[in-house]
Amino acid sequence: MTVDESGPSAPPAPPAPPAPLERIYDEGSVKRAVLDNDLEQIGVRPRLTTYFREMWRYRPLVQVMAVSKAEAENQNTYLGQVWSLVSPTINALVYVLIFGFLLKIGREGIENTIAFIVVGVFMFRFFERSVMAGAHSLQKNMNLVRSVQFPRAVLPTAGVLAELTMLLPALVVMCVISYLSGFLPVAGKVTIDWYWLLLFPAVLLMWVFSTGCAFISARLVAQTPDVDNLLPHVMRILMYASGVIFSVDRFVSQFSWGFLMEYQPVAIYLYLVRSSLLNEPAYPPDAFMWLLGVLWALLFSVLGFLFFWAGEERYGRD
Amino acid sequence: MTDIEEEVDFEVDPEDLDGAPVMEVDSERLSLLVNDLHVSYRVFGAKKVGHGPARDWGLLGRLVRRGAKQPPIREVKAVRGITFAAKHGEAIGIIGVNGSGKSTLLRAIAGLIPPVSGTVHVAGNPALLGVNAVLMKNLSGARNIMIGALALGLSRKEVRSRFDEIVDFAEIGEFVNLPMKSYSSGMGARLRFAISASAVPDILMIDEALATGDAGFRAKSKAKMDEIRESAGTVFLVSHSLATIQAMCTRVLWIHEGKLVMDGEPKEVCGTYKKFVADRKKHAQSQK
Repeated sequence: MTVDESGPSAPPAPPAPPAPLERIYDEGSVKRAVLDNDLEQIGVRPRLTTYFREMWRYRPLVQVMAVSKAEAENQNTYLGQVWSLVSPTINALVYVLIFGFLLKIGREGIENTIAFIVVGVFMFRFFERSVMAGAHSLQKNMNLVRSVQFPRAVLPTAGVLAELTMLLPALVVMCVISYLSGFLPVAGKVTIDWYWLLLFPAVLLMWVFSTGCAFISARLVAQTPDVDNLLPHVMRILMYASGVIFSVDRFVSQFSWGFLMEYQPVAIYLYLVRSSLLNEPAYPPDAFMWLLGVLWALLFSVLGFLFFWAGEERYGRD
Repeated sequence: MTDIEEEVDFEVDPEDLDGAPVMEVDSERLSLLVNDLHVSYRVFGAKKVGHGPARDWGLLGRLVRRGAKQPPIREVKAVRGITFAAKHGEAIGIIGVNGSGKSTLLRAIAGLIPPVSGTVHVAGNPALLGVNAVLMKNLSGARNIMIGALALGLSRKEVRSRFDEIVDFAEIGEFVNLPMKSYSSGMGARLRFAISASAVPDILMIDEALATGDAGFRAKSKAKMDEIRESAGTVFLVSHSLATIQAMCTRVLWIHEGKLVMDGEPKEVCGTYKKFVADRKKHAQSQK
């Protein structure tokens, strides 16, 4: 190979490999070859209809990933799955103590503060965790993304479905706490009636909505990892703006923009769950709120899916 | 150089060799067509590209310079214009020194990294099997088989019917129900190979996976590769073991700094490559 021997001071050049084979196929002949051999171009975004069909075909994968993720969640602790019940309970109790009994903010216009806050915290936690699961879904499954080709929308969908799986036992705890709190002298009664069944469609709508949000957070974080650092703050603002621990309309109804806070999706879903579960006079079951709940769910799931699909070919590139 | 020209003569007209010759595709029984492929990826937090540590600016300098001159994101050009076509039934080895872009090329062919420019056309569904493709460490082998095989496009029924076959092939026995983080590296590699091969993909890409197995497993994986080739598939194999490449491949591509430098018979390409590596080693020693 080439060794420079011009002088003792000049270091010999490193050996070089053969010159690169510079060649390009003629475009016309590529087209012909593609047709002849029935080849498909890859590394490009699939058409929306194809993508949706593929996504439907991959739903067993969504299920298996969701269940696996839910199972693995608390694997490294002694209490294991019990934590998915204990930690939202502790979380809710902290808010009940601080906002319900020390600051008494949550008590304005609310008859059963404990049930009100517990429902708010449990349901908001589901939404928050879903958005975060979506945000981390691509990064956490990078190994899978970098080895197998499948519709990436599987990942955020599975992440949110895992949260839903973990929410179901927590819902039981939520109902039990709400019901029991009704027996306290300071709190209004919570009765069990057929309205409780509305809890399921309410959670279902919230799940569809959260999946849409997870699509959006997934693409944003995949493109700009910095968004991941902003998300907790956005979530914190949303939490105070959605009446998770106090009745927000009490505070905003005096402003002309108050309706924005009342009818934004997270507040709507909290309203729906509360109106199904609690006997609060301020939260009667309301057909208009249900309609809004359906609309928000459809809007966010469709827009979120489109938004995620539009970035499909870029996931896994970093 | 002469031997190379001879080697590519069936595809390139000699007068076209200067510059970037445009040529016709030999369009018989193609399974993969890569045309002028360029791939780059983003790296966050890189301050310097090249060898050696970055210059130390001191605390004040770092604060002042933050974001000033060097962007925190670098675009690394890993593949810079590669063109080739592969046929059904070929086993193609890819060799090259570390960082030459072999793995990136495979990922681009598998559709996992979108090209910056150029095109990749494939027949059927490519599957990439890499040493680092640890599926999910916290999950049991059984779950990983489920997830991996479903992601490869098998149906639930197919996965169930092939489950035992995969476990047997991977020789993991009762470890199948333990989380994958408890596996030895060899067990993990075997399981990944077994999962990837379970789908009988049209194009199987293996990224240095065989080096981890023992002799028995190597023989088995060679048999599996042959099986895929016989069912008209194409196999790509990235390895630093020239012996493995020569034993298993019918054609070898040599990638250097993101470009294709040789394409031909295993014996010939490996020979030239071996000489190049030896020269480099001698050169590095003489520098000391």
